[in-house]
Amino acid sequence: MTRRQSIVPVLLLLLIVSAIISIGTGAVSISPREVVESLIGTGTKNHSFIIGEYRLPRIVLGMLAGAGLAVSGAILQGMIRNPLASPDVIGITKGAGLASAIVIFLFPKSPAYLLPLAAFGGAAVVAVILYVYTARKRVQPATLALVGIAIGVICQAGIQYLMVKNPGDVNAALLWMAGSLWGRGWEHVWAVLPWILVFLPIAYLLAYRLDVLSLGDDVAEGLGQDVTRLRVVLLVTSVALAGACVAVVGSIGFVGLLSPHIARRLVGGKHALLLPVAALLGVTLMVAADGLGRWLLPPMEVPVGIVTAVIGAPYFLYLIGKEKRRGT
Amino acid sequence: MRARLLLPGFLLIFLVSIFLSGCGTATQNAQGTTPAAATNTESTPAAPSEKRVIKHELGETEIVGKPARIVVMDFSFADALATLGVAPVGISDDSDANLIIPEVKEKVGTYTSLGSRYEPNMELISSLAPDLIIADLNKHKAVYDKLKQIAPTIVLNDHQANYEHMLANYAVIADAVGMKEEGKKRLDEHQAKMEAIKAKLPKTDAKLKVLPAVVNPTGFFAHSNASYAGSLMEYLGLEDAAKSEEAYPKTNLEQLVALNPDVLFLMKTGDKTIVDEWKTNPLWQNINAVKNGKVFEVARNKWALSRGLIGSEQSSEEAVTLLSGK
Repeated sequence: MTRRQSIVPVLLLLLIVSAIISIGTGAVSISPREVVESLIGTGTKNHSFIIGEYRLPRIVLGMLAGAGLAVSGAILQGMIRNPLASPDVIGITKGAGLASAIVIFLFPKSPAYLLPLAAFGGAAVVAVILYVYTARKRVQPATLALVGIAIGVICQAGIQYLMVKNPGDVNAALLWMAGSLWGRGWEHVWAVLPWILVFLPIAYLLAYRLDVLSLGDDVAEGLGQDVTRLRVVLLVTSVALAGACVAVVGSIGFVGLLSPHIARRLVGGKHALLLPVAALLGVTLMVAADGLGRWLLPPMEVPVGIVTAVIGAPYFLYLIGKEKRRGT
Repeated sequence: MRARLLLPGFLLIFLVSIFLSGCGTATQNAQGTTPAAATNTESTPAAPSEKRVIKHELGETEIVGKPARIVVMDFSFADALATLGVAPVGISDDSDANLIIPEVKEKVGTYTSLGSRYEPNMELISSLAPDLIIADLNKHKAVYDKLKQIAPTIVLNDHQANYEHMLANYAVIADAVGMKEEGKKRLDEHQAKMEAIKAKLPKTDAKLKVLPAVVNPTGFFAHSNASYAGSLMEYLGLEDAAKSEEAYPKTNLEQLVALNPDVLFLMKTGDKTIVDEWKTNPLWQNINAVKNGKVFEVARNKWALSRGLIGSEQSSEEAVTLLSGK
């Protein structure tokens, strides 16, 4: 195991510890020992119910979403060769956000399952528009980012219009936009799991091609890659991961931007290691943020999307600060 | 190596968050469990098992006997229970007990706060071991299946309810808690009270154009004739200046001048609001309500949050008192 790889077990340990503590944290607090007892089936009935029905599913869902968004972001950054790329920036989460805002504001009596379906649909529509541009020959990777930003701006305008028109329902929409794990259960886990199980391995298989692509389109083509097709495959993978996650947990964009960056600084740019480490970081960030969100102001829960930004952004700034110093 | 320098920073952030979470576990023990234990003693044995099927927005729910441990997820439901002399064990009150109007709070006594009305704390609800949950369609439909697992749950459309809907919801709540007859009686009393209040309203040639509105630093949100407060005003024989299908249209100063209400009832969310700014604008002086000195500040919890019999009686009473200039 090389020095860089040795970070993986450290992150795994960190994840397990934060998961156990997070399971015990909340308005009804449960000691780590009771958590373990409940997990192996010897805990008290009340605590086991709370863990089994509320905390475990949301933590598992947080893990899936963290991994999905982080890998989606890592793929986009590699493919567009731009450190600013993320599911948020290329408009996927905004598309999902607009679709969900339409459901929340215009169809307030719609059944509850419509919201995630609509959100996924919104992400898919944005993906199709992006695809039209990606499938063109010799498109500049940066163009893709610009197209995404433009779509995102349109969606954002739509969201804001709906919010201004319907101030009475803004809270529900804002909570969804922030990204929240409140009230999520196993049914949400089962909805996201297949997407993660299919597309995470695909992403991993594409790791080497991402490395080649990062050398530039010409080099990649010289090395025998069909750049246009590869880009389409990467886009589909990335959108499928982000779309499925965002549909269920709301538009948590920051994890997808941050995790790949931290990962790149920890283990470098080789995607075979970068992707798993980014996924682990995304998972840990979500689990820790969700636990913190439940601990901060009980019985209120701070939405996980807000906490990820609050604990992630300072670290991100710290990283950028370090880079600047090194650069000068 | 970069990695060697950067890993500690990452570790530090997570260790700190983990440490904080750990502290929370210890300190919250008392908070989380005592209310449930304390309220246990209040639960009276249920009445002889009488089965009722309650129809509500998301289906039908079977309720047996008289529920004793009731959880309500909005202020209006707490208002309804207070009129029936039933104290809920848990209320989602946005973590601010002052949002409950004093008359309701007095009757409710001690209860467990369930946090945000939009995301009430599910774990706390389950640990309260309720035997009836009253939820709102807009805010809580996504967790209806989870609430059903905890206790029989009825879901009412409260968020979009006007005054008439509120009265209908009240009857459903009374039936759900096994007090159908008491509920009817109280509704009759309410109607009589409202007629008496209406009769006290000063007589005018044309209907007075009034406008209740929530004002905060970012905007002026008129409560139109579709809203609860607006429909209540119309019930009293006043006219809501804002006619709209939207309950709370955001209104700017020019629109307000065009609506030109004779009376303004302002519900302020804090000390500073957008109206402070508007007062310096000459347009503000053109509004009839301002010219006549009929701009009144009223409490938002009484006028808009406690959408129930107590809340509507009190806000109507206040409206009549203010309008008759006493």
